[in-house]
Amino acid sequence: MANQDELYAEAIAAYGAALERLARAYDTDADRVRDLLQDIHVALWQSLSRFEGRCSMRTWVYRVAHNVATSQVIRRRAGAPTLVGLEELDAAPAAIDTEGALDTHRALERLQALVRRLKPLDRQLMLLYLEGVDAASIGEVTGLSAGNVATKIHRIKAVLARRFHDTEAR
Amino acid sequence: MSNERVPDHLQRLWQDQPARGRVMSIDELRYRSRRLTRIVSRRNLREYVAGAMVVVACGYLAWTAPLPLVRAGAVLSIAGVIFIVYYLHRHGAARTMPEEMALTTCLQFHRGELERQRDLLRGVWKWYLAPLLPGLILFYLGPILAHPERAPRGLWLLALSLAFFVLIGELNRYAAKRLQARIDALERDE
Repeated sequence: MANQDELYAEAIAAYGAALERLARAYDTDADRVRDLLQDIHVALWQSLSRFEGRCSMRTWVYRVAHNVATSQVIRRRAGAPTLVGLEELDAAPAAIDTEGALDTHRALERLQALVRRLKPLDRQLMLLYLEGVDAASIGEVTGLSAGNVATKIHRIKAVLARRFHDTEAR
Repeated sequence: MSNERVPDHLQRLWQDQPARGRVMSIDELRYRSRRLTRIVSRRNLREYVAGAMVVVACGYLAWTAPLPLVRAGAVLSIAGVIFIVYYLHRHGAARTMPEEMALTTCLQFHRGELERQRDLLRGVWKWYLAPLLPGLILFYLGPILAHPERAPRGLWLLALSLAFFVLIGELNRYAAKRLQARIDALERDE
């Protein structure tokens, strides 16, 4: 088994960019995003001293990252904007963009804003889905049953399709 | 573009975000890891120092107060403060070890954190208010019994203090109830 430092290097090579995207999905403030990312890196490095291959590296990395981020959401709860669930987003009318098709930059901004509005569990699901993680692995990271993951992903797709139907691939 | 394909396109859009490729060196990680440990140690030290100051003040009172009930109240307050500091040290630590974060699913972790906070708030009478109550009552009862002519004022102040305790207890109970609602919502998702 590789040592802690080697495992960390391996994990960052594979998931470093995903961790950056994850941190950005939890805050708009650049300093807080940087602090969260550093906290995730430190927690991941510390945790890897105990990595024994009982789960995949991907599951390990995403669990640490999402749990560090969630603990910050819980701590900052007072005064924070109200978070919503996927069900509420699905039921709410989608905002109509009057300026026609969204360009890539604006679509990404809107997507990030949408993710940040979600409650922790739904945010984790949405982020894992956007990262292209398969349903079984999403269940392993989040602890949701296979059936629940399937239902939630169906809802995520519906919400995204309704809210981004004016987005063009460029 | 059909609606069915939109999510796939958004996955690509998400994953193609420009990344800075921030990598922390092992020395930086070690330094930040030690700093985190120091922050937790300093926070604990602050709690101990605050507790020690109250113990010293009550100890002085227990030694010098002319009324036996006030002296007894001071001794009970010392015991109460020691219990509170011990309880906070044992149950109040906000930091979960990183390896536990990796071995715990997001749902378990989130629920565990909320439950820990809920229990701390729900048990505020047990670990915070009740341990201070006997000392507080004796502090008031001492002068009331020694000087019956001043009893109405003393009783009034005692009632105000007790009402303040009840208010703190109720506010914490309300906060615990709100956390319980969030825990229930998480359980519905499982």
